[in-house]
Amino acid sequence: MKLYQMVAKDVMRRKRRVAYAILGVVIGTMTVVAILTIAQAGQARIYGQLEKYGANLQVIPAIKSITMGLGDLSLGTVAVGENYIGQDKLPQIRQIADGEIKKALKIQTEGNIATIAPKLFISHEVKGTSVVFVGIEPEEEIKIKSWWQVKQGKYIENGKQALAGTMAAELLKLNIGDPVSLKGDEVTIAGILDETGSGDDYQIFVALSTLQKAFNKEGLITSIDIRALCNACPVEVIADAIHQNIAGVRAVAVKQVADTEMGMLEKINRFMLALAGVTLVVGGFGVANTLMTSIHERIKDIGIMRAVGASRNQIIKALIYEAIIIGVAGGILGYGVGTLLAYIIGPLIFEGTIATFVPQYFPVSLVLALFIATLATLYPAFRATQIRVADSFRSL
Amino acid sequence: MLDVRGVTKIYGQGSAAVKALNNVSFRVNKGDFVAIMGPSGSGKSTLLNIIGGLDRPTSGEVVLDGERIDNLDENALVGIRRGKISYVFQQYHLLPSLTALENVLLPLTFCGIHGKDGKALELLKKMGLGKRAWHKPSQLSGGEQQRVAIARALVNDPLLILADEPTGNVDRKTGREILDLFCQLNNEEGRGIIMVTHNPEAAERAAEIIMLQDGQIVDRIKHGGEDRNEFIR
Repeated sequence: MKLYQMVAKDVMRRKRRVAYAILGVVIGTMTVVAILTIAQAGQARIYGQLEKYGANLQVIPAIKSITMGLGDLSLGTVAVGENYIGQDKLPQIRQIADGEIKKALKIQTEGNIATIAPKLFISHEVKGTSVVFVGIEPEEEIKIKSWWQVKQGKYIENGKQALAGTMAAELLKLNIGDPVSLKGDEVTIAGILDETGSGDDYQIFVALSTLQKAFNKEGLITSIDIRALCNACPVEVIADAIHQNIAGVRAVAVKQVADTEMGMLEKINRFMLALAGVTLVVGGFGVANTLMTSIHERIKDIGIMRAVGASRNQIIKALIYEAIIIGVAGGILGYGVGTLLAYIIGPLIFEGTIATFVPQYFPVSLVLALFIATLATLYPAFRATQIRVADSFRSL
Repeated sequence: MLDVRGVTKIYGQGSAAVKALNNVSFRVNKGDFVAIMGPSGSGKSTLLNIIGGLDRPTSGEVVLDGERIDNLDENALVGIRRGKISYVFQQYHLLPSLTALENVLLPLTFCGIHGKDGKALELLKKMGLGKRAWHKPSQLSGGEQQRVAIARALVNDPLLILADEPTGNVDRKTGREILDLFCQLNNEEGRGIIMVTHNPEAAERAAEIIMLQDGQIVDRIKHGGEDRNEFIR
């Protein structure tokens, strides 16, 4: 018979007591795993939303803005007016954006990497109501606004077509096939967008060249949206390079907004981890208490072992074997229950979040559980071996 | 082999101090079967614990096999318990989670000796427990448990067996059987036994009786060999 076999038999006999100790460990590790998993899911969700921002970077003229509106509705402001960006600057902007991304990701492919979508905003009256027309390059725009869904009709295919935002279509009573006059020119409503919850709902989209021609703005654009396609892309670096190389424009990293949000998340995470730490300490005391009682109950058994030749080290070793059993069981269960908890609670904290198994938290849970169980065992184990054998029999 | 020289044990301090043993000296030779007798509180168990290194004397010396053991540290005492001395207790003191066989193997486990199941089983057979080897203590009677404890005490081939009221928890008939076993071990294998008892019938079986009262030796009675051997048959 080996020492660990003796321990295993003892653990089997005292199932309930050992289960209590495991429960204590589970409470501690479960909390940590749940919090880490929820935080992970929240982060993933924010990254997902980041994608939805579409553009990582917006290039606008250096000055001037006007208030946008549809009828009496205020729709915020947009940079517009005499200050336009020359369309001739697009190749240069593309070169800067692609160049910086290639540098950051260390890739050397030919061709375009960033999606660059130029826009022209023009306010114009339709059926007596002022509405914002947006000139877009349809193929580029849909790449950036990947969430756009055409509710009715179809997406813009040529310069004679227009796409109406859902609210614009509703307020102006526009249907598929309706003509809309743009000064001298005329376009037909080819499609109506599904609701996006953004300013897009109140706008009418036409091909950039059509709008430029109709309003005599050839070669001019109001803003450029740039999407760098990756979270690690050096958006700030691209923005800086555009600032330095191109006069008269302002580049705004939309990611800054996301960064602020990430910063918030980081703070929440730290707070939750502190909370988990406290839970862990409380759980640790619970485990220590259970184990202290459990070891105290076995003072006589420990006395017997010593009377038949066990050394102090062997007693401590046997008790640590037990701690390992408790730790491994607690770590595995803590990981499982913690993940389940994250799955249930996650959506309540970050709306729409679905927490799933995060495999790298399994070793975290295991190590944590083993650490708690061993630490909680050491002191009572050491104490137990200090009692004289004769006293350990007398105490009962 | 065992020399107890002027052993005194005082529990507590100041006015609350109790003298459990008062200047006790005696000698036990190799292969002797000695009974220590006396009324409750006379210091018998204290004396046995001190001889076995389970407790320390306040003053005096205990010399076993030429080595002073009363002042040994815990690690050195482990060495004594692993080969020279083993115990049989009134309460049997078996581990409840282990079978009879595993309990017998326990001293070897702590010595790091494995694979001696045959020897342990042999000892259990000798104790008449060959068929009960895989039972847990809770499934055994008091007498059976005590015989398992005796087998456990023998597995390490000790010089000296210390028995504290080995018949105190069993009925008279079982008590006799246990004493028969002790006599047999003493006669046939020459094992030294020191047995504490307050039962005169049990004490009669030893070759020598040391009478203890209020922590002092008040009498020593030596028996001949013949009158106790007749019990074995």
